Amino acid sequence: MEDHPSYPKLSELISKYPRTAGSLFQTYNDLALAQQWEDLEVLDLPSCSRGSFRGRRPKTNDLLYVVPCSLSESLSISWFHQAFEDLGKPPHVYLAINSDDSNIVYYKLSPGIVKPPI
Amino acid sequence: MSLIAPSNKRGGGKGGAQRKETNKIYANPLPLLFITPQTSHYSPYHVLGLFGLSNSRVENPHCEGSFDPVTRSVWVEDRKDAMILWRRGFFGKGDLSRSEPSWYTRQVNARKAAGKHLTAEEVRERRRAERKQFKLDRARALAQAAAEAEAAFEEGRQAPVIAIPSGATWKPQSQAPTAEVTASEVTPEDETDIQEEQPLEDVEHLQLTLPEAFFLIWTMDCLTVLDHATSESMDLKKIWTTFRAAYHPPGIPSSLSSSYLDRFDNPFLVHYAAYHYYRSHGWVVKGGIKFCVDYLLYKRGPVFQHAEFAVVILPTYEDPKDEEDSPFNLNASPYSWTWLSTINRVNTQVQKTLILTYVTIPAKSRVSTDMLSSPASLAQYSVRDVVLRRFVPARMRD
Repeated sequence: MEDHPSYPKLSELISKYPRTAGSLFQTYNDLALAQQWEDLEVLDLPSCSRGSFRGRRPKTNDLLYVVPCSLSESLSISWFHQAFEDLGKPPHVYLAINSDDSNIVYYKLSPGIVKPPI
Repeated sequence: MSLIAPSNKRGGGKGGAQRKETNKIYANPLPLLFITPQTSHYSPYHVLGLFGLSNSRVENPHCEGSFDPVTRSVWVEDRKDAMILWRRGFFGKGDLSRSEPSWYTRQVNARKAAGKHLTAEEVRERRRAERKQFKLDRARALAQAAAEAEAAFEEGRQAPVIAIPSGATWKPQSQAPTAEVTASEVTPEDETDIQEEQPLEDVEHLQLTLPEAFFLIWTMDCLTVLDHATSESMDLKKIWTTFRAAYHPPGIPSSLSSSYLDRFDNPFLVHYAAYHYYRSHGWVVKGGIKFCVDYLLYKRGPVFQHAEFAVVILPTYEDPKDEEDSPFNLNASPYSWTWLSTINRVNTQVQKTLILTYVTIPAKSRVSTDMLSSPASLAQYSVRDVVLRRFVPARMRD
């Protein structure tokens, strides 16, 4: 993994939070390389013991936040609240659930009730 | 450039030629090949064949991968090995792709802006764009119908009937003229862009889950796994220990780690028991996170037909006392009806049948933990399956 081109950008958070290093690495690669997000930044989220990401989808202007986690983790509502607070209360946050076979499922979380778009 | 361009038949068509090609590419169900040299009817080998002795030899591709403890998987970085493992049995998944490693092809296609052979991801993007357009059209038609009904009610007359597009009959509007115009505008800029972009390096690898890798190693011996620190190949004993240890709770001291190796309820063992069970029955087993399940079973492979079955693994302890001191959060306690209903509903909507796979974890009181030093202990796990379908009278008439 150390030879992977994405490693230098993530090495600090991988050493700081070894439990969530796998999901951080996989989500970063998916966003940066597969989905080709622009202006992708890695943020530190100490209250949730992991890194998170902020960037834009290609050819859009909205800043989106992504918090990675693994399928084997147990999360709670207070955990989500904490993440929302620490990221500066964005309208919604994407939770990237990683599995061992490198599949990532993104869930869009918003505080409160949201009407479906169409 | 609009994604809803008239579809190119070659890209996603399931016509006869396409099917023949996939049959040829994915002809081998396993990485091992049985080569039978052609013999004439009168040769001695043919006669031996009638007695059940064959002269076919086994060709082993001897693929190589490296173990990555951080992502808890085996990475196959060699392009050729990755293709062999994918094409002969659908093992693994490209870590930047939907299924087979196609990231490099997609990047090349995107740079050329003229994809002739569409990858699965590009077909998916096109389908999503069409569905979005359909939803917009439908919403507009519904709003229009509501407005007409309001106006008619005001005036006291019958509302005119407005056709609401339905998913089965809606067709994307032909957008060919705009697509061509934008394509010709884009190309001159693209050429200068290509010269300025750096040369493309293929950073994708094929990712095998630990059960998949262990199946390849233990049953067919066609995969060598290198240790991530020393780059030396690991022998079966080391692999057996390392793969189980990968599922231990993180950050525990090594003394505790060795005691955890004596446990039968290691998630690796439970998952592998189910994986091996279905693979040995001939099913292609892939991850099922997209449908809230553990595994999806394909009859021949993902490229042929959608998975018909979704497997949820339910570990059961033979001796309930073993659960009390378990460091693994296996979630083997009684399951709630809401949980079962949710999963069943999700899978019914995608026309999959739910299979509840009960894996019985042997009791420490009955089976000695010394058995865990070898994979033969897997014989102590029993796997039973229960098929569950949700009956929807309106939709199920067959």
